[in-house]
Amino acid sequence: MSLSKEFTKGLWNELPPFRLVLGLCPVLAVTKSAETGLGMGLAVIFVLTCSNMLVSSLRNVIPRKVRIASFIVIIATFVVIVELTAQAYFYPIYEKLGIFIPLIVVNCIILGRAEAFASRNGVIPSALDGLGIGTGFTLSLTVLGGIREILGNGTIFGAEIMWSSFRPFTFMVEAPGAFLSLGLLLGIMNACSKSN
Amino acid sequence: MNKTTSMKVSNLTVSPGPHRHSGASITGGSYDFLLALLPAVIMGICYYGFDAVRVISASIASAMIAEALIQKILKKPVTIADGSAAVSGLLLALILPANVPLYVIIVANFAGIIVGKQCFGGLGANPLNPALVGWAIVRITKTWADFLDFDLMLINYDTGFILQYPLAVLKAKGPSALSDFHLGALFLGQQTGGIGASAIVCLLAGGLYLIIRGTIRWEIPLCFIIGVTIISGVFWLANSTAYGNPMFHLLTGNVIIGAFFLCTDNASSPVNRWGMVAFGFGCGAMTIVLRAWSIYPDGVVFACLLMSLFVPLLDKLKAGQIVPQPVELPPVSGSVEERTA
Repeated sequence: MSLSKEFTKGLWNELPPFRLVLGLCPVLAVTKSAETGLGMGLAVIFVLTCSNMLVSSLRNVIPRKVRIASFIVIIATFVVIVELTAQAYFYPIYEKLGIFIPLIVVNCIILGRAEAFASRNGVIPSALDGLGIGTGFTLSLTVLGGIREILGNGTIFGAEIMWSSFRPFTFMVEAPGAFLSLGLLLGIMNACSKSN
Repeated sequence: MNKTTSMKVSNLTVSPGPHRHSGASITGGSYDFLLALLPAVIMGICYYGFDAVRVISASIASAMIAEALIQKILKKPVTIADGSAAVSGLLLALILPANVPLYVIIVANFAGIIVGKQCFGGLGANPLNPALVGWAIVRITKTWADFLDFDLMLINYDTGFILQYPLAVLKAKGPSALSDFHLGALFLGQQTGGIGASAIVCLLAGGLYLIIRGTIRWEIPLCFIIGVTIISGVFWLANSTAYGNPMFHLLTGNVIIGAFFLCTDNASSPVNRWGMVAFGFGCGAMTIVLRAWSIYPDGVVFACLLMSLFVPLLDKLKAGQIVPQPVELPPVSGSVEERTA
C-alpha cells in the first residue's frame, strides 16, 4: 500500500464514525454545533497523529503483555497536552467540550489505531494513518455538527443563516436528534457506497 | 397422522387449496379506518371551519408525499395507494390543534413516515405508530411544543364552548376547577382539544364500526378503557381533591381516539389475545400515570409509544400456547455413514 493511500483511506473507506463505527460517544455528545465538532476533531487529529508516531517508534520496545497499558499512558500524555493548551488559549471551546477532552484517552479510535496499525507499521505510515483517520473524524464531526446546528439553532459556526422568522427545530441539538442524524447519515453513506 | 406430532390447535384448520379469499386487504382496512374517522372529521370541520380542512388535507398530503418520496429514493414499489400513509396522516391531523402552522405538519409527517415507518422497513415492520412518532418529535422539541398547546393555539375561536383544554385545567388548578365541564357536553364533543380527538361520540361510533367490520379487535380498546377507569379510579378514591374522576378522564384528551384508532395500529400492537389485553390495559394505566405525575396534561401518545416498545415481549403472552411435545424417535442403528448414505 502506498503512503498516500494510508492517508486517504481515513477519508472514506475507513471513515471513523461512519465506516469503522468507532468513537461514537464524542460524535453524539459534542456535535451540538459545527464549532465544537471541529474543536474536538482537531484535538483528536493531534492526539492520534502523535500517539501513532510514538507507539510506532516504540513498537519493538513495548512488551506484548503490557501493550494496552503502555498505549494508554502514551495517549494520556498527549491528551493532557491538548487539555492544558485548550484551557490556556481556547478557553470558550474548552468549556464547551468539557469532560470530552479528557475522555479522548478512552476514545476507541485512538486505541484502535495504536493496536491495529501503529504497533505493526513504521513511523511514517503510522503518522499518515493518524493524520488521515483524524481528518476524516474531524470532517464527520464538523458536518454532523453543522447539520444539527443549522436545523436546531439556525446558525453555522455561530453565524445566523436562516430567515428571521425561522423557529429552530431544537429536537436536532438534543440527544434524540444526535442519534437520528447519525443514523440517517450512516444510512445515506451506506447507500452511496453500495451504488458505487 | 402421527399422534405425537399433531398440534393442539382447535380453531385453525390448514387445508390444501383452492382457498376462498375473504376479500380483506390492506387497502380495504385503510379505507375502513378513513370511513370510521369521517364523523370526527366532519365534527372538527363544523367547529374549526376552514382551518380544520387545511390541517387535515395538508397532513394527509404530506404523509403520502413523504411515503412516495422515500419509496422512490429507496427504489421500492410505491404503495401510497394502499391508504396506510393517508390513515397515519389523518390520525396525526386529528390530534393537532386546528391552527398549527403548515411546516409543523409537514415536519411531523415526514419524521413519522420516514423515521418511524420506512426506516424500519415500511408497512407492517414499523415498531411504533408513525403518526405518534411525528407527534412526539414535535412535542419534545422545546421551541415547537407551544404549537401543540391547545390553550395557546385555539384562543381566537368562537366555538360556543369553554376554550380551555380540560386536562390543562385539571393539571393547573385541580379537580375543584372542573365544575364548568359537564360530562354530557364532553361526551358530545363540546370541548377544546385536537380537531377530531375531542369528538368523543363520533369516535365511539367509528370505533364500533371498525370492531363490527373486524378491522380492529375489541380487546385493545376495551382493555384500554378498563385500564383508564381502574387506575384513575384508584387515584380518585385515594385523593379526590387532587385527581380527576374516572368519567372525566375517559371523556377528555386523546383517550377515545387512542383506544380505538391510535394504539390499534396493526404493526405496533400484539397479535395474541392476552398480549392485546395486557397492551390495552398498560396503555390505559400509563395514560393516567402520565396525566397524574408527568409535566404533560395528556399522556395517551407517550403511553401508546411506550407500550408499543413492549410488543415483542407481549407477543410471547399466549393463552393455550402450543407446547412442543417430546417426540420419541425409533432407535437408530448403524454408523453415521450408513444412515446418511
